[in-house]
Amino acid sequence: MNVKDKLKQTADLLLDISSLLMVSGANTNRINLSLTRFASALNCQAYSMVTHMSLVLTVTDIETEETFTRVKKIPKYQINFSTISAISKASWSALRDDWTLTRIKEEFDVIKTRTRYPKYIVLIAVSFAGAGFCNIFEGDYINMLVAFISTLSGLFILQTAHGRKINGHIATFLASFCASFLASIGVFYNLGEHPQAALATSVLFLVPGVALINSFTDFLDNNILNGMVRFANGTMTVLSIALGLFVAMLLFQLN
Amino acid sequence: MEEAIIKLLEVSIWSGIAAVGFGILFNIPRKTILVVFFLGFAAGLIKFLLIDFKVNIVLSSLIAASFIGIISSPLAHKVHHPPVVFSIPPIIPMIPGYYAYETMLSIMNFTFMEKGNPERVVLIDAIFFNGFTMLFILISITIGVSLPLLLSRKETVKKNIGK
Repeated sequence: MNVKDKLKQTADLLLDISSLLMVSGANTNRINLSLTRFASALNCQAYSMVTHMSLVLTVTDIETEETFTRVKKIPKYQINFSTISAISKASWSALRDDWTLTRIKEEFDVIKTRTRYPKYIVLIAVSFAGAGFCNIFEGDYINMLVAFISTLSGLFILQTAHGRKINGHIATFLASFCASFLASIGVFYNLGEHPQAALATSVLFLVPGVALINSFTDFLDNNILNGMVRFANGTMTVLSIALGLFVAMLLFQLN
Repeated sequence: MEEAIIKLLEVSIWSGIAAVGFGILFNIPRKTILVVFFLGFAAGLIKFLLIDFKVNIVLSSLIAASFIGIISSPLAHKVHHPPVVFSIPPIIPMIPGYYAYETMLSIMNFTFMEKGNPERVVLIDAIFFNGFTMLFILISITIGVSLPLLLSRKETVKKNIGK
């Protein structure tokens, strides 16, 4: 295999890895770190430009100094910490045991095919999280039940909307509206001791926590542009949530 | 006294459950679920204990989030998963949802109230108090969780460059 071919394959693999990291919710520093680790295991140097929508990568062979540049569009975002964890582990092993290109590719194919938790488990777990939130904000067990049901239906709407490829912000709005509508019924009939807590917590499963925290760490790492993009994205999501809550509260005249 | 302790434990356990729920939404590895639960539990325990001792909610959130940030780095080396897996899910239960809700409610009432009503001043007070408390809690949890990670990260980066 000549150097050009090797560089081309390396660039493709590194781009696949970094775009998977990006959509899984890694911050910019972690992507650059993984790129550097894999590249140094393959006797190359990688220079990258990571943006929200596309990746630009140049790999340089250390011996011949030949270069190869390629651009890749980033696919749909879906947070997945298992992937980040597996790629991080693979990058350490690659560095320690001097993995070859084919070995890294094999490992990456295994990581790509890993499944997520089944939808119903996610639904139940997140609904329990919603109930837990309600307890944290001083709701009693009736309020927690309301929060559980609202979160369950809101998340179900979100999952269905994502399955039908509806625009993300509209999906968030629909989910937020559905969840707060159900919780508003609890406030309207004054169920439990603290029905407002159920309404306030019913939409919290939509909060873009990962985007906002990554935006902040990007700012601290001097990746200002990426941080701004993540922040703007997170703010848009928060606005969609607020709009859904607002419409539901307006319908029930909860002043 | 006993009642307060039971209440504290109950809230902390629900914090742990909320952390695991969000962890599953973010698809954390199966082996880390128990660790995430205990971290969420510990964060809730610290935060609500400090609130019981009349510490301001902003400061107690900062301390609890810093605890998560500090402990997730050595934990990552021990359990062999990157620190983000442990640091993000446990702090999600600290998101100031109730303050956000109160802010929105006050803004809504303010917008629909006719001009000249003296109650508007009360609403402005509520908007500012709840809005800024929410903002400061958000800032303190992000600083608390990311600053220790950034400070401790230099080591691994150096090792990598030396290689």
